[in-house]
Amino acid sequence: MSANSHETNVRCSCEAAKSFVDWYYRQINDTKSISSGYVNNHGAYDRAGHPPADICINGLVVATPQEWEALLKQQEHAPKQPDPNKRRVRYDVEGYNVHVINADYRFGASQKMLDLHSPTDGVRMMMALTVSGTVYFGTSKNAGDDYWEKQTFHDRFILVPNWDVLEKSGPKYGRRYLIMSHNYRAN
Amino acid sequence: MAPPTGPRASRGNRPSQRGSRGGGGIGKRRGPSRTDRDGDVSMDSVNAANPPTGPSAHSTRGNRGSRGGRGSRVSTRLASNVRNHASEDGTARSDKSQFSNKVTLKIHGLSASKASGNQDGGLRSLLEFLERKSSKGRPVVLGRGVIRGEYVWLKVKQADAPLLLRLNGFSYAGASLTIEETNDPIPPQNAQSTIDGPGPNPSETREKLLAVLSSRYNAEQKLLDLSALGADQNLFSLGAFQSKALAEKSFKVLMSLTNTRYDNPVEKEAGIQAVTIANNDIHDVYEVFTLAQTLPHLRRLDLSGNKLEDMSKLAKWRHEFRRLEEMHALGNPLANLPNYSTQMVEWFPSLQVLDGRRVRTPEEAAEAFKSWFPTPLPRLPSNLRDGGNNVASTFIRGFFTTYDQDRVSLARQFYDDDSAFSLRTGAEPVPDTYDNFSRNLETIGVRGSSTQQRLFTGSNLIAELWARLPATRHPSLDLVDAWQVDCHTFPGLAEPSGQGLAMGLAITVHGRFEEVDPTRQLLGTRQFSRSFILGPSKSGAPHPYRVISDELALQTWVPQQQQTPTAAVQAPTVTPAPTTAVAAQPPVLDDAMRAQMVEELCRQTGMTPEYSRLCLAGLADWNFDLALKSFHEKRGELPPEAFVPTA
Repeated sequence: MSANSHETNVRCSCEAAKSFVDWYYRQINDTKSISSGYVNNHGAYDRAGHPPADICINGLVVATPQEWEALLKQQEHAPKQPDPNKRRVRYDVEGYNVHVINADYRFGASQKMLDLHSPTDGVRMMMALTVSGTVYFGTSKNAGDDYWEKQTFHDRFILVPNWDVLEKSGPKYGRRYLIMSHNYRAN
Repeated sequence: MAPPTGPRASRGNRPSQRGSRGGGGIGKRRGPSRTDRDGDVSMDSVNAANPPTGPSAHSTRGNRGSRGGRGSRVSTRLASNVRNHASEDGTARSDKSQFSNKVTLKIHGLSASKASGNQDGGLRSLLEFLERKSSKGRPVVLGRGVIRGEYVWLKVKQADAPLLLRLNGFSYAGASLTIEETNDPIPPQNAQSTIDGPGPNPSETREKLLAVLSSRYNAEQKLLDLSALGADQNLFSLGAFQSKALAEKSFKVLMSLTNTRYDNPVEKEAGIQAVTIANNDIHDVYEVFTLAQTLPHLRRLDLSGNKLEDMSKLAKWRHEFRRLEEMHALGNPLANLPNYSTQMVEWFPSLQVLDGRRVRTPEEAAEAFKSWFPTPLPRLPSNLRDGGNNVASTFIRGFFTTYDQDRVSLARQFYDDDSAFSLRTGAEPVPDTYDNFSRNLETIGVRGSSTQQRLFTGSNLIAELWARLPATRHPSLDLVDAWQVDCHTFPGLAEPSGQGLAMGLAITVHGRFEEVDPTRQLLGTRQFSRSFILGPSKSGAPHPYRVISDELALQTWVPQQQQTPTAAVQAPTVTPAPTTAVAAQPPVLDDAMRAQMVEELCRQTGMTPEYSRLCLAGLADWNFDLALKSFHEKRGELPPEAFVPTA
């Protein structure tokens, strides 16, 4: 059985995907920062010389997660709208799916992590995650409410382990996986 | 004697208690008045704790009534209302026996009394009068009565009936009351609620109002003419505009009926683009506020000839009608105000024409509109960063052609034992051909065995699945507008030899393909997104790179207009093995795709659309490459008018 279809890897990748999707879309729907979810400025990857996350938004390459946040802010821009229920941009996730694309991910990993987790442990995984759904413009917080315009969106992320968090002993706070590539299209 | 309003009517809470019955009745039982004298909120334990006294002792219902005198009068009244309401509906309670202690009374004389002019037809004051007069030895609490024609129908407790029947012949507000016991059921509710007294049949009224709406709708101009409603004979005959309050209500009804004529907001928006409510004696737009809720995307509005004094009378609409392009408000006093025009432009961002004068260009309007609603990000064409060797474009081009024609060979060429494929449909309520294979973790959950079963690993399994999927046809990659392909290289994949890291290529493709629905044999179009992760191949593979991961996300299938029900479309039924069927199937293209091909050929050759179409439809048979080839061959023979003149 290949490492990719190994039961533990499948289960762990699905759970990691769910945790990521829940977090990511809640953050952007609440207009909170998502830049900590990208590999940029994470110790282990910085030390290993990992390039910054590749972010491509509707065909436009943006250099940093902060620029993507600025774009999110830009599309929310509605200064004249007095009604907060018509000012929002809301992402409703309708589906997602994940594949493990490298069960033996090593980039930036310490020897400790390599020794501790084998490729069938469901930890050292590089994953391709796709998410799609509907993005509503000029709407409220609640699903099913009136909106001004809607589009379908499709996000493709490549996630890699967050060594800084995984290596810590004891309770682990923070994202266990980080975005190293993000492709967004809304049509 | 003046129309009795009753001394207790002034007790603040009474009118609202009686006036607002209906759906909320049940809820009111839970109100604060339900607490016991000592503050206990336990209606049900009361029976046991306080043994009933008095004539109603044999009845648990009467038991509550007898508590009325102890300060919980309102609560008993409400409870009684609820019971009456339930028993009247008949369906509300299945066990009717619990109402067997109820007696129905028919009371005549209210309509002749002076109280009949009250807002509720005098019902409330009559009931209060009866309560007051019958409560001699002990308090009598009456439930809600209803007016049906000449009579007031009332259900009372059996024990209270004699006390009330004793009032037969009493004089009430200048009229003599006749109170009799009856076994007849209470007649069903009429069009008008108890408040409005007897009224016309509701469905009849509805039909009449719908007829009014139809007669006032101009389909050509998409105009709903609601001007001078007060002068409308049909509406007049319905009495819909007799008073100001009634006129406002009637307008609401007209709006709600307008809503029912359309299946969805999009149809409504397309159907009604202009409305005139001119000459309606409107003093403030709140009188017709529902117009903004019913038709929020209105383009043209005529308000002229009303009585809007100043801008404040229009202020209720300042956050509505964001798409309003044209407005007429002459004939209102506000139109003479100095700030009229500037204020209108400020309030209505899309407004371009005010009273026939241009106040904004369409561009200015578009700009002003932007600050009102969030705006989607601009869309750029494909972004291909595949490392300079055009790996992605070569791969994509080969991939989709082969996928349409020979999926088995495709799987052998680019997929190996570690390659993963899965597909995913959205969360649409309609069942889909692909649903049994859909690995949508949002739908199937992340812990079920389906996550494993619907992940297809290895070229054999993948080819097997593909053979079971409907035949498809992707448009030519030359139609650049039909595709969005983004790709880039990334580090961190495993080298197939085992040691070291390798570069990968991440490709996402958005587009659509034609698909034959296998159960209905219908040709349709489906939007899809497909994400590939490519990495280096193991040694001995036919290509230097392989597909590591392939995820196909499918959106709703849209049937095409039946255009060519030819054998070509039927082909897959005759040969159920999809792999061969796909190969045998001649090209099936829809008009939109053809139009796109024509446009693309125009762009590449400089020919007019007519000649481009001829070129494509001729020998090339809608094969874009062939058409382009034949153009280059025959270029010299083409007449000058075949080309778009270059200015």
